[in-house]
Amino acid sequence: MEFDKNSTIKLAKLARLSVNDNQLNSLEKDLKSILKFIDQLKEINTEDIDPTSNSLDQKLILRDDIAENTLSNEDLLKNVPESELGFFVVPKVIE
Amino acid sequence: MLDNLTILEASKLIDEKKVSALEITNSYLKKIEDSKKLNCFITVSHDKAVHAAKETDNRVSKNNRIGPMDGIPLAYKDLFCTKDTLTTASSKILSNFIPTYESTVTNNCINKGAITLGKLNCDEFAMGSTNKTSFYGPVVNPWKSLDSDEELVPGGSSGGSAASVAADLCIASIGTDTGGSIRQPASFTGAVGLKPTYGRVSRWGTIAFASSLDQAGPISKTVEDAAILLQTISGHDNKDSTSSQRPNEHYFSNLNSSVKNLKIGIPKEYMSDDLPLEIQNYWNEGKKILSENGAEIIEISLPHTKTALPAYYIIAPAEASSNLSRYDGVKYGLRTNEKNLIKMYESTRSDGFGDEVKRRIMIGTYVLSSGYYDAYYLKAQKIRSLIKKDFDNVFKDVNAILTPATPNTAFAIDKEEKDPVKNYLNDIFTVPINLAGLPAISIPFGLDKKGLPVGMQLITNSFEEQLLLNIAKNIQDSINFKNEPKCWWK
Repeated sequence: MEFDKNSTIKLAKLARLSVNDNQLNSLEKDLKSILKFIDQLKEINTEDIDPTSNSLDQKLILRDDIAENTLSNEDLLKNVPESELGFFVVPKVIE
Repeated sequence: MLDNLTILEASKLIDEKKVSALEITNSYLKKIEDSKKLNCFITVSHDKAVHAAKETDNRVSKNNRIGPMDGIPLAYKDLFCTKDTLTTASSKILSNFIPTYESTVTNNCINKGAITLGKLNCDEFAMGSTNKTSFYGPVVNPWKSLDSDEELVPGGSSGGSAASVAADLCIASIGTDTGGSIRQPASFTGAVGLKPTYGRVSRWGTIAFASSLDQAGPISKTVEDAAILLQTISGHDNKDSTSSQRPNEHYFSNLNSSVKNLKIGIPKEYMSDDLPLEIQNYWNEGKKILSENGAEIIEISLPHTKTALPAYYIIAPAEASSNLSRYDGVKYGLRTNEKNLIKMYESTRSDGFGDEVKRRIMIGTYVLSSGYYDAYYLKAQKIRSLIKKDFDNVFKDVNAILTPATPNTAFAIDKEEKDPVKNYLNDIFTVPINLAGLPAISIPFGLDKKGLPVGMQLITNSFEEQLLLNIAKNIQDSINFKNEPKCWWK
């Protein structure tokens, strides 16, 4: 599929970014250039190759499932833009 | 006496009670005050630093000094969460964020008595190699061209971390490296920059960019200081599930600069006609030094080198788009007033993120989106296996690899690059190492004809930081580079 203005709009929506018409053109140009760059990889044969998600040769280490006191409710809310009764407040979701 | 101090020198002065930690700290706070033109610091922790220095002096008076880091003034990239001190990732979206906890890296330093001078400017969310993407404006390289007065980039993303060491605004600093963000700015500013093996240093409390690549490391004036700092910040941490369980090593006390009978690989894929002649010359000088000191130089091949940058620009943005989804105006950071929830998300993120961050979020969203995942993200992870295998093969034959750290030296801040891909090429020699998770160090070699620092990169196999530091020390002792840019910023 050709990457175009509509793809840019759709992507912005998926990424929860609002983009105005001015930004749209330069963003489309930039994204096209980056996609062209990463599309080089299509030429590389990766059949039968396993993916590497991280380079460590060890299993993911898990902690024991024991409850600990980490951040208090008060600490968690110290940077909150809006809170009430110890909760995060967001704009109304249900009408 | 208090100029251009290394950790070792300052530590000796404090131990011998010739100078107090407070005097050293105050001297650095004054230097920072006088360096506004360089724009290295986002936050200066004046009171915190003075308080900590007094505590060191108190310990010293009771002959209870903790160790070589006690009383050493450091500064941290503004990507490390510091309790009760503003932590921004150089982004508008976090411009009001005051963490209620301390990152493991900064905590390790503080526990060893290090003094926090402040938080250093960097590219926004560590995305960039010029330090120009910072919401707080670009950092200026303390080095200038001999023939021009124009201001130069310090490299990035740890631009403030490198420039502050080069300008002697701190004894050493900590940065992070996702694709070269410690080594490239270290190279541009004549400093020593070490990226440890992935998993050697805990990522807990470090603001995430690309979680499978991010690694914190020191920027310092000498290899010895890099060894002391690595020892200070590394080790297993329960709070990071990818943190290695290998025991911590005594990198400094085990430092040994012999390279006798070591095999050093020179990857032919890193040679190119585009590489500036002076960088080629220093590379050749590196081979000559190591060979004269008893190492054997061997040409090697890393056949998938060319695929590293495009693979990186799939993997890093993919992980970034996922990591940065947390900045939604709900729990912390910036929030714009909107009555509708989705609109609030969109306007908060659009207002809070800069252009480069938005580009990478969108690329990451694209390569992870339904129908493209296999073609891009999975493909890039397979390429990553090929790159790692290249290094695995080569390390059967050689102990270490020597390459240039960067394909260029520092360039003008005003140089506008319209095509984002051109900027990405700055990291051509450093990115493959992150994909393979290996340790690497950038060490200053000399100046080019414009009088700007040139750095070389050494790479070893995973968790062979000791060997890496040993070879780096051998080179350092053989070339005797002086990192002293002319002070024009006061």
